Amino acid sequence: MSASAPLAIETRALHRVYRSKPNDVVALDGIEIEVVPGEFFGLLGPNGAGKTTLIKILTTLLLPTSGTARIFGFDVVHQTKEIRRIMNMVAGGEQSGYGILEVREQLWMFSQFYGLGSRDGWRRVDELIDAVGLDEQRRQKVSTLSTGQRQKMNFARGLLNDPWIFFLDEPTLGLDVSAARAVRELILAWKAAVPGRTVLLTSHYMAEVDELCERIAIVDHGRVLAIGTPAELKRRVQRESIFRLELDRLDGGTASLARLPGVVAASAAAADEANGHDDRQTVAVNLVLHDDAALGGVVTALGGLGAQIQALRKSEPTLEDVFVELVGRGFDDAPDDGRDESQPDGRAAASEPRRDDEPAEEELV
Amino acid sequence: MSIDPAALDSPAWGGFDPARTRGQGLRDVWRSFVTAAQLGWRNEANWTDPILFFIYSVAKPLSSTLIFVVMIEVIGGAAAREFRGFVIVGTALWAFVVAGIAGLAWSILDDRERYAMLKYVVVSPSDFLTVLLGRGVARLAVGAMGAVITLAVGVVALGLPLEVGRIDWPLLSVVMVGGLSAVVAVGILLAAICIQTRQEAWSYPEAAAGALFLVTGAVFPLSVLPAPVQVVGWATPLTWWIEGVRLAVFPAAPSGIGGAGSAFAAFTGRLRPEPYEIVVALLATGALVALGAIVGFRVSVHRAKERGLLDQTTGS
Amino acid sequence: MSANPYVHRPTPGPQAAAAWTRRQIVMTNVRTVGGRAYPRVRGLAREKSWLFFEILLPFLTTSAFVFVYRALQAPPEYVGFVVLGGAMTAFWLNVIWMMASQLWWEKSQGNLELYFAAPMDIVAVLFGMAFGGMVMSSTRAVVVLVIATVLYGVTFSVAQWLLLVAVFMLTLAALYGLGMVLASLFLMWGREAYHLTQFLTEPIYFVSGLNFPIARLGLLGALAISVLPLAVGLDAMRQLAFADAAYPGGTPPPEIEALILVVMTVVFLGIARWMLRTLERLARREGRLSIRWQ
Ligand SMILES: Nc1ncnc2c1ncn2[C@@H]1O[C@H](COP(=O)(O)OP(=O)(O)O)[C@@H](O)[C@H]1O
Ligand SMILES: [Mg+2]
Repeated sequence: MSASAPLAIETRALHRVYRSKPNDVVALDGIEIEVVPGEFFGLLGPNGAGKTTLIKILTTLLLPTSGTARIFGFDVVHQTKEIRRIMNMVAGGEQSGYGILEVREQLWMFSQFYGLGSRDGWRRVDELIDAVGLDEQRRQKVSTLSTGQRQKMNFARGLLNDPWIFFLDEPTLGLDVSAARAVRELILAWKAAVPGRTVLLTSHYMAEVDELCERIAIVDHGRVLAIGTPAELKRRVQRESIFRLELDRLDGGTASLARLPGVVAASAAAADEANGHDDRQTVAVNLVLHDDAALGGVVTALGGLGAQIQALRKSEPTLEDVFVELVGRGFDDAPDDGRDESQPDGRAAASEPRRDDEPAEEELV
Repeated sequence: MSIDPAALDSPAWGGFDPARTRGQGLRDVWRSFVTAAQLGWRNEANWTDPILFFIYSVAKPLSSTLIFVVMIEVIGGAAAREFRGFVIVGTALWAFVVAGIAGLAWSILDDRERYAMLKYVVVSPSDFLTVLLGRGVARLAVGAMGAVITLAVGVVALGLPLEVGRIDWPLLSVVMVGGLSAVVAVGILLAAICIQTRQEAWSYPEAAAGALFLVTGAVFPLSVLPAPVQVVGWATPLTWWIEGVRLAVFPAAPSGIGGAGSAFAAFTGRLRPEPYEIVVALLATGALVALGAIVGFRVSVHRAKERGLLDQTTGS
Repeated sequence: MSANPYVHRPTPGPQAAAAWTRRQIVMTNVRTVGGRAYPRVRGLAREKSWLFFEILLPFLTTSAFVFVYRALQAPPEYVGFVVLGGAMTAFWLNVIWMMASQLWWEKSQGNLELYFAAPMDIVAVLFGMAFGGMVMSSTRAVVVLVIATVLYGVTFSVAQWLLLVAVFMLTLAALYGLGMVLASLFLMWGREAYHLTQFLTEPIYFVSGLNFPIARLGLLGALAISVLPLAVGLDAMRQLAFADAAYPGGTPPPEIEALILVVMTVVFLGIARWMLRTLERLARREGRLSIRWQ
């Protein structure tokens, strides 16, 4: 991309107010975002933060109340046709389509809306059905698809026109762990196939955003609270290094560690069962250090105490920590003002990739 | 503060109520019927909404009557004046038929396609059929208003000779009860079909009502039809209902079933059926249709459950 | 099959991909018509209950009207009038059930947003619905016309075939133009629109003179001729198809009525286009393209 190439997404002072009774709702309150072509950009925020509103504006389905937004240089208010030719979108829980059609028929209909030739459309549809892993449902009626299968079909629809920018609004909402993983892998594979393909993903699953996105905007109440790579964002809250140690024994107790230089705190932790050490007697310790360098001293001291280290991991702060730091409240207890009743509580579903209070190093699903 | 745990187990708190697993008492049935009727009233039949009232109780029934009235006027001639009364009564009653049949069938489509609620109605403890009947009754009220308005216009503006003193009230009451039950039965049959069909079934009820025009003697005497078709008409309770109402309210009106050259006359040697014949035939054919409707409905619901048709929106 | 399923039609970049030729634009709209008609046609083939409810029953209804005239010992051409009316009803029903109420329906199903998010013209989608539905209504019209003509012995006397065909086509054009206007109206009114569908059956049959020469309605008929495609089209077709019959006068000659239909078509399509644009703008402003908002 040359330096003069327009940004994939560029919003300036974007405001959106919904006129509604009894009070107007300010859904977007001055959003400024720049996404470069080829970027995987995430919008993270609790229910009612304004994520869907922003996506609808960017996909030309909703007008901003004020401010501007451009997609690859095209204005979302006036150049809708151009934008519609190069973008596509998939939302979680999307229930579109005609129940009486088979999956491939349904997709073919949409292929025609994007101007694929009749034969070309059928070929493309079959190709995408294979790609999203719906080959067994190819001739099944749309009305009989499971939630996960339906979402795969939605993805096939979204990819029909080789979009340059793909908008994904909570795409794994309501999916189980394996279906959600399949969807994430699909997005990554699709994006990797052509340099310059851009994705804007919204989610309130921190781990999903963390795993997929190169840069993230954390939004709440229609405002961008912070923008950066996941690592940058986490660094904002990372003033100390936190380690987790598992030892075969610790004769002097945690107190013997807390006295060491560079150690801020040391506390006993519940043994980590996930590591398969539960049959053995181990002692787990959480260590807070001033910086990583202090670790060397701790290891030496442990050797002196006759303790053997069986596991050592660094605990990264999570995006949840970032959010708490930014808004002063937890993500889950974000007040929703009761305005967004339609939003199913995704966190209760099995689809959630990871609890955010779990250690961050673990592989995502 | 102390809470008695036993109190929390009471049905009022969502606890288990053994009574709910037993068959439903008549009172439960009645309650779900009334609730459904109220719901139907609020949604579709509300006379306090002037637009709905105008559409369903004035414009539609009156227009269908006027279509026939003008057809008669266009041709004119000697038979026209007598024929006019005949047609006004037939089409006024048709307001019941359209409202009754369409109301029931649309309840199904409404719940399934528009509100995606059908499955919840089916699994709720109230009997599905009872709920449906409740909704249907609300619609019948709309039909009743339409029929009354049409008759009123007929008497005031179209010269329909109504003599209140000569009305045979006992006969009228009996045939109205029998006739409306038959209308509801036909409606249930159609609802059973709608459970199985696609979204475009919206127009099916009116199609069915329109086709019934042909065999029920509503707008012309059966005698102009070929004899076998006349016999089909005899098998339809609506035919006897309309004949009964005509005889009770306008004793001088020509018969829709009998008349010179009719199969009825050829068969019995009489020009019109006796009141008791009308009542017996209405009850007999009505009972048959009702039986068929209930069986058909149960079979349809069963099949729908088996094939998972209840929670599908099926549009194309 | 291409090697990579994630690449189908490579474009050099988003700017190039967004610049469509006129041909691309036209072809996309043409294909959209076929694409949207497809579910309709598949639906008809997949479930055949419509043969009974949309073909047989309406035929019986038309027959009922025929027997009314028989009972009145009307001149034979009146049976022809009714049969023609019965055939044309099919198209009117198609317009109100499968077009007028459809955009609203698509909205409640969550499809409308996807339609607006795609690059084709929404008018093409409406045409697609219309053509898909026309398979059914044409079948119905032909069946009613042919069987009733044979069964009830209707004799046509056509003097100007070309004009008759032209009037028929123009009637359809005007009807579907009106259908598009209604579709946008319905979308605006939402749930209430469904009741409007109901209002558009019997009352419209009556004022359109579906079963009798419209001249009989006097001023009301004249009004209908000037705004309802069904009324003016039917009147013109009756004049043309039963040229020998003593048709009650009082309505314009078919040539004039053809012109009225042309004007109607242009006006309705214009209004529809304007309304759909306005509607899209309004819906985008107020956030009403979908009712499922997550
Ligand atoms: N059509 C609408 N009318 C009125 N308020 C709306 C509408 N859509 C969304 N809102 C409100 O705007 C705010 C942002 O909603 P949304 O963009 O859906 O948030 P998110 O997708 O982040 O959960 C919420 O408070 C929501 O209730
Ligand atoms: Mg959202």
